[in-house]
Amino acid sequence: MEQPVTVLIIEDHPVVTEGVASWIRSDPRQRVRLVQTARDLTGLRTRSGPSADVVILDLELSGELVTGQIPALVAAGYRVVAFSGHSDPAIVMETLDNGAHAYVSKEEGRDHLVEAVLAAADDRPYVTRSQARAMLDDQRPARPALSEQERQALLLWFQGMSKASVGRRMSISENTVRQYISRARAKYAATGRIAPSKDALLVRAIEDGVIKPDEIVPYRSFARAEADGPAWVFRASE
Amino acid sequence: MTAIQPTAMMSGRYQRAFTLAVIVLVAGWHLAGAGGQLLDHRSAYGSFAFQGAMWLVMAVAITVGSVLVLRGTLSWRSAWAVALIALAASTASAAASPAALMLAVNWSWGSAGWTGVLVLLRRRFAELAAFLAAEAVATLSVQAWDGLHRTDLAGFLAVLAWSTGGQVAVAAGVRALDMAAGHAAAAARTEHDARERAATAEVIQAARHARWLVLQESAAPLVAEMAAGTADPGDPQVRARCAVQAARLRRLMAEGDEVPGSLVHELHASADVAERRGVAVEIETAGLLPQVPGRARRVITDAAIAILTAARSRARITLAAVADGIAISFVADTGAGVRLPAAAEGVAIEQQQDGSMLWAEARWNSR
Repeated sequence: MEQPVTVLIIEDHPVVTEGVASWIRSDPRQRVRLVQTARDLTGLRTRSGPSADVVILDLELSGELVTGQIPALVAAGYRVVAFSGHSDPAIVMETLDNGAHAYVSKEEGRDHLVEAVLAAADDRPYVTRSQARAMLDDQRPARPALSEQERQALLLWFQGMSKASVGRRMSISENTVRQYISRARAKYAATGRIAPSKDALLVRAIEDGVIKPDEIVPYRSFARAEADGPAWVFRASE
Repeated sequence: MTAIQPTAMMSGRYQRAFTLAVIVLVAGWHLAGAGGQLLDHRSAYGSFAFQGAMWLVMAVAITVGSVLVLRGTLSWRSAWAVALIALAASTASAAASPAALMLAVNWSWGSAGWTGVLVLLRRRFAELAAFLAAEAVATLSVQAWDGLHRTDLAGFLAVLAWSTGGQVAVAAGVRALDMAAGHAAAAARTEHDARERAATAEVIQAARHARWLVLQESAAPLVAEMAAGTADPGDPQVRARCAVQAARLRRLMAEGDEVPGSLVHELHASADVAERRGVAVEIETAGLLPQVPGRARRVITDAAIAILTAARSRARITLAAVADGIAISFVADTGAGVRLPAAAEGVAIEQQQDGSMLWAEARWNSR
């Protein structure tokens, strides 16, 4: 049997922490193990290496939005799954742009949180309906260009269909539906701010055949690109 | 004067008719009156050629003035330029006439005066008065230069009286007619406004009546049946009918509010009854949604009511901006297919059943 994925919950409301822990416990195959809980981010900064594979991060801690702390967590080697009551598309987009692996709204937690954590541990994309909504809503000039099929799959998924039903509707297999949605997510990993977590997602997407390297058009700002270089290119050729 | 008041636009047709009348009068005077006098006395002038040339200058001034007036492009500069050319031609013609016979053979005073009336007609009255006075003074000066006798002065006053008097009378008449036309147009506009208000009231009344009819058709019989005891509130079918009617009533109330996002508002109202029944309804939007016209909204909310009534425990409604329109989708555990309204008002409806879950989508195209 595989080692369970270790997870750390950062949440300021004990009731919510307890709820998340119960979802983790109720997974029949016990694929996730809760190793630590924290009520804020202070304890994490002192540690040398990551203490868990994945962090479940509540985006609002003590009344403050902490999307801006995600890059530091990612830099410390954590994979971040954001878990929030804020489903505003702009906040979802900022969360992803800052390097979070996935976004799960509180309403989606029961059905999606454990799966999102497992996908994140593997650096695989996991697109919740609220994340699909934010991608459909995205009007920023630097947004990635999605194909008609990708948009349609995202739309039907956002509407609430199961992936199998989306496949029936589009006359494609369920696997292809996942492929389209994952590819749309991977395109987002190639845009905006540079983060090691986004590179990891891209590398895995290329390895899995979700996206081809030439399908990735980075929209990163020139200033950043010159300073840091598009890191995913080096990682991809390893 | 480029800004055109609505009233001015409506009285414009009358003003144009008055202008045309003045043009005909001025041109007729210059051709028949002045031209006739000129030909009649052709042997009396020192140089008939010079008088003819001045007549032509005046004719050109009248033509230019008429065109500018009819086009509505007469500025104060061009108006006064035409008037002063006419004045100069008139004075030159008078000065070149034989001294003793100046008033007797003069053809130009009248023409110049009428030209002034033509181009200064719709300017301040003082401008026309100043022009006519300047013309009288110029002619009198020529007379005085030639040697002014008492009989000459009497003749001058006589010509002044009937020529300038006529011109002032015509200008004042047109002015009065302009005002009358303005009043008539304003009155017509008031009447038009009143008619428009009445028409709007009628539309509102019709909309209310239509809603009342909808209730009469569907809700009233149900209430009547329950009152008569023929419909049993314990019967699930009767309860479903009640739920539909309650949702429709809420929608009818929501329809009154024409606000951006009316559709979302009406869908919330339609969902209210299902929520009271214990169905968890979530409504989400994606993208910048276009405004959907009222009748198309009615088709969409009808579909929503049908689906929400059939939903057992949960329903998800999403509104997403798509190319050229909006896609409103419903996913609900209805158990079986639901009879949905036919495509109408630019709304196309599709559905797919997967086990107990129904997916339906209403697409409204803005084109």
